Amino acid sequence: MPEQTHSTLTPRRRPTTRAWLALLLCLFPLTGQAQGFSVRDTRTSLEDGVYRLDARLKLQLTAQPLEALKNGVPLQIALDIEVLRPRRYLWAAEVAALEQRFELRYHALTERYEVHNLNSGARHSYYSLASALQGLGRIRGLPVIDARLLDPDEHYLLNLGVRLEIDSLPVPLRMRAYLSGDWWLNSGWYSRDLRPRP
Amino acid sequence: MSRLLAWLRRASTSVLPVALMAIFLLVSLWLLTAATENSTQFGRLHLLLVVLNILGLVILLGLIGASLLRLVQQYRRGATGSRLTARLVLIFVIMAVAPVSIVFYFSLGFVERGVDSWFDVLIDRAMDEALQLSKSALDMRMREHLRQTREIARRLGGTEDALLLFRLNELRAETGVNELVVASDSGRVIASSSSDARSIIPNLPDEVVLQQVRANDTYVALAPIEGRGLHARVAVRLAGEKERLLLALYPFPERVSRMADNVQSAYSKYKELVYLREPLKQTFSFTLFLVLLVSLFSAVWAAFYFAQRLVSPIRILAIGTRAVAAGNYQKRLPVTSNDELGSLVQSFSEMTHKISAAQQEARRSRRQVERERAYLRAVLGRLSSGVLTLDRDLTLRAVNAAASQILGANLEHATGRGLHRLEQEQPELAIFFRALRPHLEHAEVEWHEEISLNRSSGHRLLTCHGTHLPEVEGIPAGFVVVFEDVTALVQAQRDAAWGEVARRLAHEIKNPLTPIQLSAERLRRRYLQRMEPADAEVLDRATHTIVQQVEALQEMVQAFSEYAQTPRLELCDLELGKLVDEVLDLYRGNDTRVAFVLQQQTDLPRVKADPGRLRQLLHNLIRNAIDSLAGRPGGRIAISLYRRQGCVEMAIEDNGPGIPAEIFDKLFEPYATTKPRGTGLGLAVVKRIVEEHMGSLYAENTAHGARLVVRLPAVEQAGQTTSADLRATGSA
Repeated sequence: MPEQTHSTLTPRRRPTTRAWLALLLCLFPLTGQAQGFSVRDTRTSLEDGVYRLDARLKLQLTAQPLEALKNGVPLQIALDIEVLRPRRYLWAAEVAALEQRFELRYHALTERYEVHNLNSGARHSYYSLASALQGLGRIRGLPVIDARLLDPDEHYLLNLGVRLEIDSLPVPLRMRAYLSGDWWLNSGWYSRDLRPRP
Repeated sequence: MSRLLAWLRRASTSVLPVALMAIFLLVSLWLLTAATENSTQFGRLHLLLVVLNILGLVILLGLIGASLLRLVQQYRRGATGSRLTARLVLIFVIMAVAPVSIVFYFSLGFVERGVDSWFDVLIDRAMDEALQLSKSALDMRMREHLRQTREIARRLGGTEDALLLFRLNELRAETGVNELVVASDSGRVIASSSSDARSIIPNLPDEVVLQQVRANDTYVALAPIEGRGLHARVAVRLAGEKERLLLALYPFPERVSRMADNVQSAYSKYKELVYLREPLKQTFSFTLFLVLLVSLFSAVWAAFYFAQRLVSPIRILAIGTRAVAAGNYQKRLPVTSNDELGSLVQSFSEMTHKISAAQQEARRSRRQVERERAYLRAVLGRLSSGVLTLDRDLTLRAVNAAASQILGANLEHATGRGLHRLEQEQPELAIFFRALRPHLEHAEVEWHEEISLNRSSGHRLLTCHGTHLPEVEGIPAGFVVVFEDVTALVQAQRDAAWGEVARRLAHEIKNPLTPIQLSAERLRRRYLQRMEPADAEVLDRATHTIVQQVEALQEMVQAFSEYAQTPRLELCDLELGKLVDEVLDLYRGNDTRVAFVLQQQTDLPRVKADPGRLRQLLHNLIRNAIDSLAGRPGGRIAISLYRRQGCVEMAIEDNGPGIPAEIFDKLFEPYATTKPRGTGLGLAVVKRIVEEHMGSLYAENTAHGARLVVRLPAVEQAGQTTSADLRATGSA
């Protein structure tokens, strides 16, 4: 075949290299894919001496988590927020850190998706997965830190990240989740400046 | 890297760390199993446990690898016990791997079947149908609620906004609806009425509800409301010119709500289980696989450990045997076990210990024997008597230094030779050996013999004592011959005897001689004139003879007296050559029949001597030589002087008939003469003078005539004589 004759002329990547690359991809799934989790935009506001966070998260489930959800497996989605004070010669000092956990669950009987805020206990149910994920991804006025804890002369960083919590999956699923890139849904850290207003 | 290998090697041979690790692995496996069974407490540890187990396995694998590597190295090197270790390891591994693998295979099957047995098509269908049934039951209720809502909407139709709240309250009380809300098309609340006094803010519908109502005029769905159970949410469009929506929330009876909840949760649970069936099997299999690996690796490592433990005493024994074969009995073998092998090593150790002790004892006694032998040799070496030992076959076994010295031949190299051979090899000593032979051949127990030995350096008289040695403790019988050179002793005795004789002669004979002579002379004076001529002649002749003979006797007595009474020596350093030359001068002129030759070495050392006595010595010797040449033409006397071993030697050689054999032995004794006239004291005096000067002399016959050698100690270059105490030994 002409392709074969052609292929003999062009240098090919050795199969071992390809195998290694495949293995690496399996072990370290890329984050921030088009299908995964990401942080769209964030905004902080000072209300009654407390800094509050507004954020919009884009949450899209990949095939395997989606299948698990449909089969009654609850998924936990964690929102990590930290306030850091950068230092010149050392790593940044952590001023505050909080984690918000949500549990997403499918009700077969009502055919609705329920979002349960594990921190506040609040439950919301949605008619569709898209609206559930949209509702989950809309963060409004989340209190982050008391303004008194911040030095007005300093400059702070606010980091925000959202991820699918693999450790909260049922144990049998966990091994598979660790080894499959489909399950590694993680936005990574999104940073924004936080300048205390005097 | 090498340090890591060494650590692995150490760790792989010591049981404690590996045993601890095996226990740790087992515990963590147990936890892993517990976590796999979804126990919430351990669930969180799952990943950590998996990682720890895999890490432990890797370490175990490393230990096994190190053990295997070492075994392979030992095997290649052909180290002792490596083959047996390899075989044992192989057997242990096979014994461990086979059953564990079988159990693993069947366990996998059980897991598969066990998990599958939880699920059933009937239950599957039952669950689905239960859900459908619940749904349809709820649907019926919801259709009823929709109809109710439509009725309310119809009755509300045309109501003004100001009356809306009142009307809503009225209708709600009438129909038993939980909540009634009239909202605008965009979702803004216009009026609401709720039975729950706590909720002032109504449960607002989301965008989806609004969209659906706009599209279909109606919306009906189940709505679980937090804390208040299951509700039905219904939305319809209100009749009228304005776009208005009526939203109603109907509660389900608590029983229905609970049942629906139960069905929902059971269905969810079952669905989840079905979904998790494959992952569950995989997790169980994985855990089982980890258990298999932990057991296998532990067993393989244990195989190495126990094989080495078992082989260790054998290896120790082999090392010990090799050490013993190499002659090292000092090697201590460690006892590593207290079983039969251990006691074998123990008894081997005891055996080598005993051998070592015996060897030390043997060495000690050998050293003692050697010491004693050295002692004996030293004693023999310092003995002035000669000692010979011979075995039964008359082979020379041992000789001391004195024997060689006395016999004048180096016999120390002749040990191991037979008497016959010695006789042939040493013709000078043949007389000596021949004299020993009859006593030895008859194996006489004790014997005594005097042997006279004629050697070129002079006559030697030896006294020999022989003893037959009996056989003692396996040492074969033999003979010991002890002999002494008594020449000097016998000579001294003879000299002393002759001295005494001479003194007596001088004393006893000299005294009557003078009266005899005087009496003869008086007889002649008185009677010769008066006698007849014939008688006178007889008298004259007789008295003449008496006087003459008395004079001769007096001369002889004088000579004896001189021999007996030696004057003190007047020693001085002198050149022997010069003195000899002077003496020879006296003869050269007088006697033309004999030729005199003097040869002397250059730079001859001086000698300390009495020149008068030396002149006498020379006169005696030269006269002796001339006498021996009497009546022979072409006589020649050669005197040579040379240095030898710290002495000056003077050899006087003539070409006469030589020394007759009958007087050779007694040459230097008085009256040893063949001359018709002469006292026979010439050479005896020579000998005495030489001895006074601490010298020595000997005579020998050469091919042409006789040769007499006088040795005198030389004066050292520093002016000292070799003999520090040189003095006259003349007796009074």
